[in-house]
Amino acid sequence: MTLLVALLASTFFLSNALKLEYTKKIQNTPDIIITDTKAMRETLIDENLVSDLLSINGVSLALPRVYGAYYFSKADTIFKVIGVDEFETYPDKSLNALLLKNTLDENSMLVSKSVAKILKENYYDSYFNFVNADGTLKKVIIDKTFESKNSFREEYLIVMPKCTAKEIFSYPSSMVTDIAVMVANGEEIGFIAKKIETLLPNAKVNIKEDLLVEYENRINFKSGFFLTIFIISFFTYFVIIYDKISGLSSEEKREVGILKAIGWRVSDILNAKLYEGLIISLSAYVIGIIIAFIYVYILGAPLLKSIFLNAISLLDDCELLFRVDYETLALLFFLSVPLYIAATIIPSWSVATHEADEVMR
Amino acid sequence: MLINPEILTLYILNILFFIFMSLAFVMSFKIVLRWDSSATTELQYTLEKRSYLSATIIKYIFYIKIPLFLFFIFTLDKISFVLPGAMCGAGVVNASEYATPLLFLKVINLYLFAYWITLDSEDMKRESQPYLKQKFSLFLVFYLLFIIEIALETTMFLNIDIKSVVDCCGAIFSNNDDTYLSLVLSMPHSLLLSLFYGNFILMYLASRFSQVTLFAFLNLTFIFISLISLVSFFGTYIYELPTHHCPFCLLQQDYNYVGYLLYGVLFIGTFRGLVIGFIELRKNERENSYRISLFFNSLFLVIVSSYTLLYFIKNGVWL
Amino acid sequence: MIELQSVRKEYKGGIVALDGVDLKLLEGELVVLRGVSGSGKSSILSLIAGLSKPTTGEVIVDKKRISKLADHFSTLYRRENIGFIFQKYNLIPTLSVQENILLPLVPQNLPKKELESRLQRELINFNIESKRDVMVRNLSGGEQQRCAIARANINNPKIILADEPTANLDEKLSLEFIKLIKEMKSQSRTIVIATHDPLFFDLACVDRVITVKNGKLL
Repeated sequence: MTLLVALLASTFFLSNALKLEYTKKIQNTPDIIITDTKAMRETLIDENLVSDLLSINGVSLALPRVYGAYYFSKADTIFKVIGVDEFETYPDKSLNALLLKNTLDENSMLVSKSVAKILKENYYDSYFNFVNADGTLKKVIIDKTFESKNSFREEYLIVMPKCTAKEIFSYPSSMVTDIAVMVANGEEIGFIAKKIETLLPNAKVNIKEDLLVEYENRINFKSGFFLTIFIISFFTYFVIIYDKISGLSSEEKREVGILKAIGWRVSDILNAKLYEGLIISLSAYVIGIIIAFIYVYILGAPLLKSIFLNAISLLDDCELLFRVDYETLALLFFLSVPLYIAATIIPSWSVATHEADEVMR
Repeated sequence: MLINPEILTLYILNILFFIFMSLAFVMSFKIVLRWDSSATTELQYTLEKRSYLSATIIKYIFYIKIPLFLFFIFTLDKISFVLPGAMCGAGVVNASEYATPLLFLKVINLYLFAYWITLDSEDMKRESQPYLKQKFSLFLVFYLLFIIEIALETTMFLNIDIKSVVDCCGAIFSNNDDTYLSLVLSMPHSLLLSLFYGNFILMYLASRFSQVTLFAFLNLTFIFISLISLVSFFGTYIYELPTHHCPFCLLQQDYNYVGYLLYGVLFIGTFRGLVIGFIELRKNERENSYRISLFFNSLFLVIVSSYTLLYFIKNGVWL
Repeated sequence: MIELQSVRKEYKGGIVALDGVDLKLLEGELVVLRGVSGSGKSSILSLIAGLSKPTTGEVIVDKKRISKLADHFSTLYRRENIGFIFQKYNLIPTLSVQENILLPLVPQNLPKKELESRLQRELINFNIESKRDVMVRNLSGGEQQRCAIARANINNPKIILADEPTANLDEKLSLEFIKLIKEMKSQSRTIVIATHDPLFFDLACVDRVITVKNGKLL
C-alpha cells in the first residue's frame, strides 16, 4: 500500500516539477516562431519578410534566426549551431550575456566546454573543419570556450556569426531558419499570430502557448499512463486485502466473540475495525509521500525521470525543484485512503457480525 | 472530452461508490419488504446484520463525499484554466448544461445523506427502532438521486468542449442580462438585507419559543436568502468590487479560500436547524441542535457582515 | 429478577439444548445450576446474558424482554447488567491485565479519570495490582481467573454469571474463588453458577441448587 502511494506520488511530484521547469525555461523562448512551408514541411523563410512583420501593430521584435544541428560523424555527436549578429539582442538572456563579453569575427566561433572537449579529443584544438551541406570544407577558428550555465540547451553549443552558419548549412543568401517574433503585450499573441497567418498564408506560425500546452499534454499523458497502471494494481491489491481479511483466523473469530460477550456491539466492533483501516491507510499515505519526496527531490528520481524525459525532446536533463502542491496531495489522498477503507468494509462487517455463541462452547 | 488526473480520480471514486451503494440498495430493498422486529427467524437475524452493513456503507460514502465535494469544486476551478474565457468555476458551470443541476443535486444530496445519518443515529438509540423501515425506504429514494448525480457528473465531464468559449463569471452574474439571475441580483439591497437579518432574528425567536417547525422552515429560507445576499451584496465586499457577483471566486486562494468556510458553516448551521423539523429529538438534543444551528448561522452572519463593515471602516464609503 | 418462560433452545443440526424450561430467579439470589456437560446449563447462562436467543419462549430480566431485543440492544443490556465469567476465562492473551479489564469500557468513551478509578478498584479488590502491566499469557491460573472476574465486575453488573468457574482449578484456588463469590453476594447481586463441581452444592451461601438434565429442570 505504501509502495503504491509512493510510486504514484513520485509520478505526480515528478510531472509537477518538470512542468515547473519547462514553464520557466520557456520564458526565454520567443512568443511566435514563423517558418515557411513547402508541401507542408517546414523550410527556410525569407528574411526580408521581417520588415512586413514589423509593420504589424504590437510586434516589438522580429528576428531572423539562423541555427541548426551539425552532425560530427567521428565522435557521433550532434552540435547545436547558433548564428548570431553583432547588433542583435536576443530573447535568450544568457546568449545576450555571452555576446556582450565576446565579439566574433567572421569565420570564428565560440564553443561550449563540452564541444571543446570533443573537438580536442579529435585533435581539433584551435579550429575545426566543418563539412558543409554542399560537401565543401569550411575552416572555423575557435575563439573562446564558454561555460554553459543553464542546465539545458547549451550542451554541445556552438555560437558563430550568421553568415558563417549560413555557409555551413548552405543556405541561400536571403534565407534564414525561422523568424522569431516578440509581442509587446502578452495577451495579444494569439491575435497577432492570426494577423501573421493572413499576411503569410504559406507560413507556419507557432505560438509559445501551444508549446506549453503540448508539453503539458505529453506529461499528462505519461502520468495518465502511470495512473492506469496504478488503478490496475490497486484493484489487484483490493482483491488481495479483501481476501486476506476475509480469511478469518480462528484466533480472530475467538477475539471478536469475546468482545461481543463482554458487551461490544456490532457497531463498536465495526467502528474499531474501520478506525484501524483509517489509521493504516493514513500512515501509508503519509509515509508514501515522504518516500516519494525523498526519491524525487533528494535522489533526483533516477529511472523514472528518463522515462518521462523521453516524452519531451526539449529537455536533456534538468534539475528538479521543490514545490509543495496541495492539489497533488489531495489527489493522492483520494486515491489511496477511501479505496483502502472501502476494501475493508465488507470483511470487517463479516467479522463483526459473527455469532458469539461459539465462545461458550 | 476532458481527462486529467483529477477527473479520473472522481470517476474512480464514483465507480466505487456506485458498487457499494447498489449493494446497500439491494439489501435495503429486502429489509423494507421483510423486516419484522418481533420475528425470531433466521431471516430476521440476517436482515439485522445486513442493516448494519447498509448503514455503514451509507455513512462511509457520506463522510467521504464531503471532502470529495470540495475536491470536485476544486477540480472545476482547475478546469477553468483550460477552457477559454473561464477564470473560475463559474465559467466551467456555464460551459455545460449539466453543471448547474449537478451542483444543486450534489448539495441536496449532502443534506439528504446527513439527514439519513442523523435518522439512523436516532433510530439506534431506541430499542423499538422506530425509524427503521422509514430510513431504509428513504434510502431507496436517495439511491436514485445518487445515481442521477453520478450520471450527470460523468456526462458533464465527457461533454465539456475545450474549444468552445465560455463566459467568465463577470458576464454570467451581471445585472444587465435578461435572466432570472439578474432579476435577483438587482433586488434593492435594503430589501435584501432586511430579509437576511430579519430571517435570522426570527430564527432566534423561534428557538426561544421552541417552535420546531417554524425554526426548521426559517432555516430553509435562510439557505436561499443567505446565498442570494452573499452573491448579490456581501460578495462584493469580499471582492471589493461592486460588479463581482460570483459565488465561485470566493473559493480561490486570492480570497483566502473564505468561500469554503462560509459555505461549510452555512451547511452545518442550516442542516442542524432543518433536521429538528423532520426528526423528533429528545429535549436536550433539541436544545443542542438549536444551539449548534444558531451558532453556525450566526457565524456565517458575522463573517459576511464583518467584511462589509471592515470595508466601510477602511474606506469610509459603501460600495 | 430473571425469568425464563417455556424456553426451548435448538441449535443448528437439530440439537435440543433446552426443552420447555421455566425458571424464576429472585434478586440477590445465589443459584447453582447443577448438571453434567451438555445438560443445557451453559445454554441457560447464555440466554440470560442475551448472548443467544431462545428458539421459542421468552427471557425476561427486570421486566424487560431481552429475548425480543435486536442484537444491538441486547448487547447493550449485557454490557450494562451482566458480568460473565467464562470457563476458559476468555481473556485476550496478547493484552495486559489492565487492558483486558478495561476492555468492556472501551466503546463507552468514558473520561480517563473514570477509567482509572474503576481500574484501580478492581485491581485492588481482586489482588492483582502488582500484575497490572503483565501480559495475560504470562499469568498463573489463579491470577488469570482473578483477572477474568475483575473484567466481569468492572461495569458493576447486577447479575454475575459463571460457567464452570472451577473446572481448571485446584482445590485451593477453588476455595479462593468461592470466597470471592461470597463477597459479591454480600453486595446483593444475583449470581448464577453453572457447574458440576460438588464443592458448590453444600455451601451455606447458596440459596438454591437446581439440577439440569437433558435440557430440562428437575
